Amino acid sequence: MNLKKYLSLTRAGIMESLQFRLGTVVMVIGNLLYLIVVYFLWKAIYASAGTDVVNGMTFTDTLIYLVLATALFGFMEMYTVWEIGRNIQSGKIVLDLLKPMEYRRYLFWSYSGSFVTQFFFTFLPTFIIVGIVTHGAIPLGVNLLYFVISVVMAVSINYSIDFFVGTICLFTESIWGINIMKQVIVLLLSGATIPIAFFPEPLKTIVYYLPFQSIYNAPLTLLLDGDPKFETVITILGTQLIWCIVMTVLSTLFWKVSLRQITVNGG
Amino acid sequence: MSAIIQIKNVTKEFKVLNRREGLKGSLKDLFSRDYKIVRAVDNISMDIEQGEIVGYLGPNGAGKSTTIKMMTGVLEPTSGEILVGGNIPYQNRAKNAQEIGVVFGQRSQLWWALPLIESFKLLKDIYQISDSDYKSMMHLYQSLVDIEPLLHKPVRQMSLGQRTLSDILAAFLHNPKIVFLDEPTIGLDVSMKSKIRILINALNKEKNTTVILTTHDMGDVDALCRRIVIIDKGKMLYNNDIEHLKGFFGSYRTLKIRMDGDLKQQAEVIQKELPDFSVSADEEWISVLVDEEKSKVMEVLNQLQKSHEIRDMQLEEISTEDVIKKIYEEGVE
Amino acid sequence: MKRKGLGFYLRIYGKILAQDLKSKMSYRADFIISTIGMIFTNIAGFVSFWILFRNFPSINGWSYHEMLFLYGFSLVSLTPVQCFFDNNWSLRMYVYSGDFIKYCFRPINLFFYYQSEVFDIKGLGQLAFGLGTLIYSWTKIGLGFTPLILLKRVVFLLTASLIMIALQNASAATCFWIQNSFYVMDLVLKFKDYARYPITIFSPVFRFIFTFIMPIAFIAYYPSLVILRPNEVPLLSWLSPLIGCLFFWISYKFWMFGAMKYSGTGS
Repeated sequence: MNLKKYLSLTRAGIMESLQFRLGTVVMVIGNLLYLIVVYFLWKAIYASAGTDVVNGMTFTDTLIYLVLATALFGFMEMYTVWEIGRNIQSGKIVLDLLKPMEYRRYLFWSYSGSFVTQFFFTFLPTFIIVGIVTHGAIPLGVNLLYFVISVVMAVSINYSIDFFVGTICLFTESIWGINIMKQVIVLLLSGATIPIAFFPEPLKTIVYYLPFQSIYNAPLTLLLDGDPKFETVITILGTQLIWCIVMTVLSTLFWKVSLRQITVNGG
Repeated sequence: MSAIIQIKNVTKEFKVLNRREGLKGSLKDLFSRDYKIVRAVDNISMDIEQGEIVGYLGPNGAGKSTTIKMMTGVLEPTSGEILVGGNIPYQNRAKNAQEIGVVFGQRSQLWWALPLIESFKLLKDIYQISDSDYKSMMHLYQSLVDIEPLLHKPVRQMSLGQRTLSDILAAFLHNPKIVFLDEPTIGLDVSMKSKIRILINALNKEKNTTVILTTHDMGDVDALCRRIVIIDKGKMLYNNDIEHLKGFFGSYRTLKIRMDGDLKQQAEVIQKELPDFSVSADEEWISVLVDEEKSKVMEVLNQLQKSHEIRDMQLEEISTEDVIKKIYEEGVE
Repeated sequence: MKRKGLGFYLRIYGKILAQDLKSKMSYRADFIISTIGMIFTNIAGFVSFWILFRNFPSINGWSYHEMLFLYGFSLVSLTPVQCFFDNNWSLRMYVYSGDFIKYCFRPINLFFYYQSEVFDIKGLGQLAFGLGTLIYSWTKIGLGFTPLILLKRVVFLLTASLIMIALQNASAATCFWIQNSFYVMDLVLKFKDYARYPITIFSPVFRFIFTFIMPIAFIAYYPSLVILRPNEVPLLSWLSPLIGCLFFWISYKFWMFGAMKYSGTGS
């Protein structure tokens, strides 16, 4: 694999996303506002609960969890479904398929520039601010390493799910409908909007058997645990790894089969 | 009667962002911006009478679209005055819109998913066309083109040619005083082009509609326009009859002759014999561009016959295309 | 030229609407999938709401059913923006490609003409959900039912809906100045999720902001007080219909100003 070829795509992506100056500013404001609402909402909830710990999480834990989930969302959302859907509708996909790279990789690396800008403009500032505001409630130890490994796998799982869903666009024209369904399911079941610890019992068990919790819940759980047990770490990372492999294989296969179907039928 | 369109000393300027190059440049653009003023239209004046078909020509980026946008009321001129049918288009956009029709070559203004007839019915309501006017217009259309198969086809399923035709019909539907056609024949095949030219001519004759036509296709100009206006870099270069244009550079004609042997070599010899005129050669012909004010074509031919054996000859009038090309390249002096 | 009054515009809207529905039917698969997507969104909203508040009898003095009432109210008042003003989402695409210019040549109000082009039936699903929630919580709280209350309800719902319409108009119109207005619209879209919480959970500063700067408290909170807490209705609640109209008018002017300033990219 020639890395340079991919890195030039990354660079082009960085430049493109910097072009939108106001977009960047607005995005930062938007995230801030969301965080403010989350802060007050949970503060009210904890105040009403009358205890400091609800479902094993303190107010600070919940806040850090949700704030970083938002930052991770900004970081991981690649609008892949939109991109694939639009490319299919405009016919641009034919040109992309002719490029000397596999489409799945091409799309990923075209977007990877945004990873870099999003990381520096959204995630890192949020992380630092949260660290300061909560007076160092984020444990800084070996958990950071686990967190990074976990995020890398989360990105991969998220992309695989997106690509899988995007492939459905080969068969139907409804990009909006498909995308909204995916987004709603992923955000709710991954624990991005409400920590999974708050889920009622049968639902919680079901959610742990699904791939979505590996995207937000897994890395954040690892991050917030300052003194993780070895078994916990292995279980979480192992589950992620399995989902990582399964989803990659599934999405790649689904794409290949669909593409063959389409070219045979002349879609 | 005063002109339907009056343009007096109109100028339009735009503020354009200077984007810096490279990754560093993008970073800089994030924090500071550097604008420059571009004058898209520079002090243009013209009058256009009711019923004229005027070709509005110029190379890409000359300012044609900007002028048209000002006449349609989408853009406000930076300075100068425009009156369209007595209205100031920018101030009375809706009122002006009632009096004009617009076709932008590649951008259909029809409802994409609807059959053409449904689009027409909506336009009838929007423009408040009376039943009798609508009926007589549809009769006229039926007599001019084979509209029946188009009427029940959704616009998105039409070929580019059918779509353009539909867009033109839609633009004339409310019997506007002026129709603006922006590159109506772009991308069409030869037979469709001629169909559309015939249609425009007929509608212009029948309804005495003023037509402003921008195009890069000199076939459109020859077939439709009696008068042309040429602009380049925002400045007006020419505004007069098309006939007058041809005499503009002196009266040029091209004399083509065929001879045996290597044409390239012989062309060089002839060039020396005729230093006043430009001589060129292609696979078949040697061409001499003769300025008839210096000597007549027959004299040149006679002179050539003395020294060369000419097997065949042709005489070509200079084409509009050649003249326009010359104006774009050299300007008008 | 004949005068173009309300009757004229209503007739035109009816005709365009009918045509739009006809053409939607020709994309049946898209219609069905989008509707399912919309139902998903609403179900997910409910599930989140339920997970969050099922553990607590009341939040900040607001009972579960009162919160549910606010939630239902916000869903209903957010329906018109979904149904009638959905074309705002395409605005930036039209402006970017230069196709927006085609709307400028018609002898009718530009804003009206543009918005009339799309009617989003999916919003009706949301309306059903919202009404269901509203009626359920209404009976649970035991609010009683008189024609006067109903009238109040309808008036306040309608005027509350103008707020979100105004916010969306204004955010869509930013694309006349900045290239990527998607972020702005997305930000405003998130606002509507915050509209469902009682404003008393926020600190005074943010109460001020959400009342006067980003008036999302007028989407559900203030107008709901008239019914929920008839004994302690603040002046702002009674003013909310006026404020709805005012904001709508401002956003309309802003939208038109942008459109007029718009010069069309490309040629």
